[in-house]
Amino acid sequence: MEKDFEPNIIGFLCNWCSYAGADLAGTSRIQYPPNLKVIRVMCSGRINPIFVINALQQGADGVLIGGCHPGDCHYERGNYLARRRYAILRELLEYIGIDPGRVRMTWVSASEGKKFAEVVKEVTDEIRELGPIQHFKRENTW
Amino acid sequence: MKVNNMEKFVLPKEKLSEWINKIISTYQVFAPVKEEELIFFKQIKNPSEIDLEFVNSAVPPKVLLFQQTETLFKFTNGKNIQITPTTSHNEKTLIFGIRPCDAKSFSILDHVFKGDYKDPYYLTKRKNMLLVGISCNQPAVNCFCTSFDDSPTSSKHVDVLLTDIGDKYYVEVQNEKGKQLVESTKKLFTPATEKDSNKKKDVEKKAFDTITRHMNIKNVDTLVKKLDIIFDAPYWKNIAMKCLGCGACTYLCPTCHCFDIQDETTLTKGARIRIWDSCMRPEYTLHASGHNPRPGRMNRVRNRIYHKYNYYPKNHQVIACVGCGRCIDNCPVNIDIIDVITKTAEVKP
Amino acid sequence: MVNEKQLKTEAKKLVARDDVKYVIGYEKGTYGFQVTPCFAFTPEDTERFIFSPLCVHNLAVYFMLEEKPPLRKGEKEDTRKIGVVVKGCDARAVVQILQEKGLKRENIVIIGVPCTGIIDPKKINAKFPHQVKTVDVKEEGNNFVFNINGKTHNIPKEELLFEKCKQCEYPTPVISDILLGEPIKGSKKEEYKEIKTLEKKALQEKWKFWSKEFERCIRCYACRNACPLCYCKECIVDQLSPQWIQRSVNLSENTVWNIIRAYHLAGRCSGCGECERACPMNIPLTKLNKKIEKDIKELFEYIAGLNPEEKPLLAMFKPNDTEETIL
Repeated sequence: MEKDFEPNIIGFLCNWCSYAGADLAGTSRIQYPPNLKVIRVMCSGRINPIFVINALQQGADGVLIGGCHPGDCHYERGNYLARRRYAILRELLEYIGIDPGRVRMTWVSASEGKKFAEVVKEVTDEIRELGPIQHFKRENTW
Repeated sequence: MKVNNMEKFVLPKEKLSEWINKIISTYQVFAPVKEEELIFFKQIKNPSEIDLEFVNSAVPPKVLLFQQTETLFKFTNGKNIQITPTTSHNEKTLIFGIRPCDAKSFSILDHVFKGDYKDPYYLTKRKNMLLVGISCNQPAVNCFCTSFDDSPTSSKHVDVLLTDIGDKYYVEVQNEKGKQLVESTKKLFTPATEKDSNKKKDVEKKAFDTITRHMNIKNVDTLVKKLDIIFDAPYWKNIAMKCLGCGACTYLCPTCHCFDIQDETTLTKGARIRIWDSCMRPEYTLHASGHNPRPGRMNRVRNRIYHKYNYYPKNHQVIACVGCGRCIDNCPVNIDIIDVITKTAEVKP
Repeated sequence: MVNEKQLKTEAKKLVARDDVKYVIGYEKGTYGFQVTPCFAFTPEDTERFIFSPLCVHNLAVYFMLEEKPPLRKGEKEDTRKIGVVVKGCDARAVVQILQEKGLKRENIVIIGVPCTGIIDPKKINAKFPHQVKTVDVKEEGNNFVFNINGKTHNIPKEELLFEKCKQCEYPTPVISDILLGEPIKGSKKEEYKEIKTLEKKALQEKWKFWSKEFERCIRCYACRNACPLCYCKECIVDQLSPQWIQRSVNLSENTVWNIIRAYHLAGRCSGCGECERACPMNIPLTKLNKKIEKDIKELFEYIAGLNPEEKPLLAMFKPNDTEETIL
């Protein structure tokens, strides 16, 4: 593994909680690794597993899904549904040979700027250990 | 030893590897390779990879001429767009072990790709490709090439034909290109005797007798005319109700050639690619307006049958079916083209 | 197996009803061990119905393939029902579609057949290849009996049964309007042996196994069309804006296609195996679908296709669903 491999991690953050939490981490000037590229979605329940798979296929080394704490979803139940989908997706990816550590989920509320930074650091460190994604990258052989 | 057209030789079985090794040194050779109980035509580097104990390949060898994913040209995005055409496929290639029916399919596909618009991708590959066929000693249950006056041991569409006559191969050289293949290793070949020719005739007769499922068509003209008058019969609806529209028949048919063209891009570059498509899918004829001229499965099933047995013979004087039976083998609901066409004789207009 | 005479009588009565458009059953195929779906529009058509251990198709797929052309001016919609003959696994697919509101219960009539096991066409064709004449197979005790060229063959069921039948927990259709015969109690249990073996392999080995399978995929989408539960009006592969799965046929796109189809069947797949049977490249699709079936059983105690009133798996949640690995 190259010493200076920096993972590319895509973060799908829900607008009301985890995106606001990330914002708070920023305004509070809390340092966290720059590897996370954020895509804001209205709710973690919006996330179709194809988003995650497509991200991995296009070269993301990992994906982080951020949602509201169970019971606090702005739309009442989106995060509960996302929780179910995430459990199935991880098992399926592991079954075909993709390390399940590449797809992570986290509950971060709008006031948890510090937690957000810690989560990003933890996930980045873990994915850095796993190395660059090697399987099923989009080929574009032309 | 002078080699004339249609001169016949024998090649002992133990010398086959030597001949193939010589061919591999000059050509890119594709031969039947076994994988997961199925046969595929793959590029080989060693004669030991070849499996000749097969009836036919899962995917027809048309995939070597009419690639499933073909890059037409590449381009870059931005202010100065650069378009790079694909460099032609100029390598000398050879298909070893192609069946006579699949070889005939190339001659049928030629009409499409050599027609009003000459397709450079197909034609360059076709020009640089040699065919060494192998006769069918044991046709399968759904083989029906004989229904089109063809033979499982025909050398008409190949450059060299091998027939297994026991401990050796009966070799028929069809043309100049085939002549070169044999010339380069002439010490391996000995002229065929009458006894050898008779053995080949025996193989042919046995293969003919093994084929018992026939598509009963008197001749092409009768079939075309009958199909013309039963176009609106409810017969087609009854067949099409079973069809799932899965498209397996189109992908495995040696003469099917429907395709779609799309652009695939990243932020900075891309390519225009041609991929196989299937007329059995409703999206194939879906217009941008939302109108679909073939809205139902009946329209699509009827169109596929007519394309092969009516429109193509009208345009090119040949039925676009070689009788390989792959569609019958793989249809999940047993839509049997032999049965469908044979029964058209009883359909009332 | 079921009494064919009883089947024909019931089907005849059903087709003769004013409120039934047609009934779908099985009839003899065109060669060898083939059986083909039969659409009976008139009582006479039902004379062709058969039921034997060769009746492998899942006829529930035809419900969703029903085409409704636009109505002409003044034409009223045809609201007549469609009848279908289903085995245990097929009935679960019907129940699942009802659960998702893909079908209305009053639009269908179900003739249920308690099933004692179906022959795997691959196995019987490997044992008796090149059969031109159609062969009738009957069940006698623990054997399948049939006649080829004057010789009678008595083969133990275990040798020819579908793997899925050997572990079938629901041989009697869980839903039916007419049940042909006595319900059979499900005595077998799904062990997921093959799934567990594959799960134990190392990550790299798993990828090696699956990449070899997905390389062969030719994206014909026969799996999608043969599946009774794949009935999206616009399949994700056909979407162009945005285009999630490119149409190039290579390992990467093939993998995404197969995973996303398996995922979309999570909590919906009834395990009928039609996808694997239709696949011309012999890709072991049931190994993928059964893995998800095992997971949802363990994680959420959910089994697809049992109760049409139940809420679908991914449309509901439990407050104590697993939070393992969530930060």
